[in-house]
Amino acid sequence: MTLMDDSSMAAGNWQPNLEDVGFGSLFDLLPDGVIVVGRDGRIIISNPASTEMFGYSHDELAGAPVDGLLPELLRDGHSSHRARFHHDPKTRPMGVGRELFGKHRDGSEFPVEISLSPLTNEGRMLVTAIIRDISDRKANELKLRQTAESLEQRSVQLEAANRELGSFTYSVSHDLRAPLRGIDGFSQALIEDCDDVLDKRGKRYLRHVRESAQEMGNLIDDLLQLSRMTRGELRRTETNLSDLVRDVARSLEASDPDRNVEWQIDECALVLADERLLRIALENLIGNAWKFTGNREHARIRFGERCRHDKSEYFVEDNGAGFDMAYVHKLFGPFQRLHATTEFEGTGIGLATVQRIVHRHGGQVWAEGVVDEGATFAFTLDGQAD
Amino acid sequence: MTETAPVILLVEDNPRDAELTMLALEQGEIIRDVVLAGDGAEALALLHGEDGVCMPHPPRLVLLDLKLPKIDGIEVLERIRAEERTALLPVVVLSTSAEDRDVQACYERHVNSYVQESVDFMAFRAAIRAIGEYWLALNIGPNAERY
Repeated sequence: MTLMDDSSMAAGNWQPNLEDVGFGSLFDLLPDGVIVVGRDGRIIISNPASTEMFGYSHDELAGAPVDGLLPELLRDGHSSHRARFHHDPKTRPMGVGRELFGKHRDGSEFPVEISLSPLTNEGRMLVTAIIRDISDRKANELKLRQTAESLEQRSVQLEAANRELGSFTYSVSHDLRAPLRGIDGFSQALIEDCDDVLDKRGKRYLRHVRESAQEMGNLIDDLLQLSRMTRGELRRTETNLSDLVRDVARSLEASDPDRNVEWQIDECALVLADERLLRIALENLIGNAWKFTGNREHARIRFGERCRHDKSEYFVEDNGAGFDMAYVHKLFGPFQRLHATTEFEGTGIGLATVQRIVHRHGGQVWAEGVVDEGATFAFTLDGQAD
Repeated sequence: MTETAPVILLVEDNPRDAELTMLALEQGEIIRDVVLAGDGAEALALLHGEDGVCMPHPPRLVLLDLKLPKIDGIEVLERIRAEERTALLPVVVLSTSAEDRDVQACYERHVNSYVQESVDFMAFRAAIRAIGEYWLALNIGPNAERY
């Protein structure tokens, strides 16, 4: 294939001396293709990047019609574009206007961006075209678009799964609790209304039935609370953790005025966190400290902030029952308990809830304990929230 | 309103749950006359239906379950509020659910009170007694003549 036609050589006899103005090496080294075109639409000079881009030699390009570097479909339009540009020569920056394509010697087409500038030389108006092959960028854009689309699809699927989970917990809340009310209520009715036909043992069994029903009710409530921690938006506001801890401590004191606990609540810096969720997390952590110091004559609970690895971490420390570090990995799983129900009550969902809240804030939570000496729970809140 | 006018309309589809509520009302000594509606459609017929179907006088209190077949509790509440005769009627929702969206939906439709039905029957009975004492004894309701 050749770009030459019969009249090509006539236009190819003029060569501006670029070396004279010191642009020669710049012209040769530019990563963009540069082609200077005469008024008749024929190429006067081209730089190495442009010969590389289109697959022709300098000599092949010199004098050839520039329209030959365009896909056939665009050629007709291009001659009228050229005419308009000569009529009103203004610099046209790159990346403005329509999508453009170049055509390689081997017939392949590739997307380009072109900037045009008028250039007057010895009274003749020439046009400098700077041509940039944007195939890679277009391919990246396509890849990016496809990634964005598949992410979009994923998030739609996740939302659907989340909604499904939401309606599942909703029906758990309603449908599982209803029969439990029947079990508990009619057991109580039996105890009260059929007093004459039930002996002591029968009544004791019925009390066990009621206790079991209520225990399951509590489990369902806790599960629901845990699932609520994952739903809904995280609303971060400036939150004073020390104030929250003081609130929790006050309500614990009120719930059991006979207890004598020595509180140490340090003043912490404000954090950007969801106050409602942090309150629940602290209720669980402080509540645990309160619960597991129940047997202590001199119970101590401390809340504070410390810095480790340039990060603030918050901790709740108590001198209560503690736990065996051998089981620390089980601590944050739902329904895991390290103490017998007879010793300390609870459903084993509290720390799972704490962990979920902390994770939602992009933080970590961990624990250290020594049996019969106490436990420390620490958490961070920084990092990217989900 | 006459002395014999039904005091409470209980809307509850599950007969066992209805019996539990009745039991709690009886033991709370606040029951006088309770009419039971087994679903939302029946409740609306009792409140807004034609003569012969409709209660002769509107009740003083509606105890409304949310999860009902045919017409659910939220819609029953909506229709009670939309009808002039019952727009001001005290409605207390009794539900096993304490989900935010249920509570919110009820208050948006001007429910008077929302109470979660506890699994613990003793607690439930105490709640029913409190509801009865408050709405039937302490509270002054809207003018019945309006109905």
